[in-house]
Amino acid sequence: MATADVEAVDFEPEDDDLMDEDGPVEVEVSPRAPPPKLKSAITGGSTSLSAPKKTKGRGFREEADAERNNRFASKDFDSLDSGGGPGPQRSIEGWIILVTGVHEEAQEDDLQNVFGEFGEIRNLHLNLDRRTGFVKGYAMIEYENFEEAQAAISEMNGAELLTHTITVDWAFSNGPFKRRSMRRRSPRGHRSRSPRRRY
Amino acid sequence: MAGEDNGEFYLRYYVGHKGKFGHEFLEFEFRPDGKLRYANNSNYKNDTMIRKEVFLTPAVLKECRRIIAESEIMKEDDNNWPEPDRVGRQELEIVMGNEHISFTTSKIGSLVDVQSSKDPEGLRIFYYLVQDLKCFVFSLISLHFKIKPI
Repeated sequence: MATADVEAVDFEPEDDDLMDEDGPVEVEVSPRAPPPKLKSAITGGSTSLSAPKKTKGRGFREEADAERNNRFASKDFDSLDSGGGPGPQRSIEGWIILVTGVHEEAQEDDLQNVFGEFGEIRNLHLNLDRRTGFVKGYAMIEYENFEEAQAAISEMNGAELLTHTITVDWAFSNGPFKRRSMRRRSPRGHRSRSPRRRY
Repeated sequence: MAGEDNGEFYLRYYVGHKGKFGHEFLEFEFRPDGKLRYANNSNYKNDTMIRKEVFLTPAVLKECRRIIAESEIMKEDDNNWPEPDRVGRQELEIVMGNEHISFTTSKIGSLVDVQSSKDPEGLRIFYYLVQDLKCFVFSLISLHFKIKPI
């Protein structure tokens, strides 16, 4: 990219003569900023960016790319061994599910009561909105066994908790997801559902 | 909410500084394929760099998008925010739907810094969103790897 700029400058003296005949010269031609560069190593150069994005921010006008790419370029990120293939991934001490649509006034006890039914809850994160102090809207729950987590998902996804419909799903996956496979149901998803629960 | 459910998604947050303990920083990113990367480098006392990555389900990405969409950060602009300085810098880059923001600013110690800035309303949104995102990521990382972030 830098070389292209240099070459463009080389042609300018000749261009100037032509432009003089056209009357007032638009001085804005050369100072015009190059199109913003996508800073991210991931989105930059990606062909999946179909439509041009509306960009905003000082990050597009800086040249800190090299350093940032260094930070994330290295391959030595630790990850847990996955069995490969699709499906949920086991975490180091158990299986984590994500509950969303949680009422802002929900208490840990509300979740404990409902989700404790499927097995002992090893960990429960019910994070708060830092501005309001109310529940942010999600919870993460850890069970020791796959079956417990799977039962919680099957039984509670779409159920009602404190007047809110909640969704319950695995948090971690064995591999990348593609848009197309997002709607694929787990085999158990097809079984007839018991009536929605309310709590 | 616009941009919450469909289209592309990418998020990266960085906070760091260079000082007598070298380059100390925290950075995480959510990639479009669901990969969450987390890096935390502190050279203080023990020279350790923590780098973790894990694939998330679409459900987790969707919740992340919801948090961002509800914050309305995409409507803000970093024009009048404090510039990164010697004390440190923060970067927040988000691609969501048809919009791509890449904001930079200094470290924000407290709401006093927000209040005394030239754009308190915008900076407050950034300030709280960053805390909510960190909270979300720390829960994910600590539950999955059983490490205590920071």
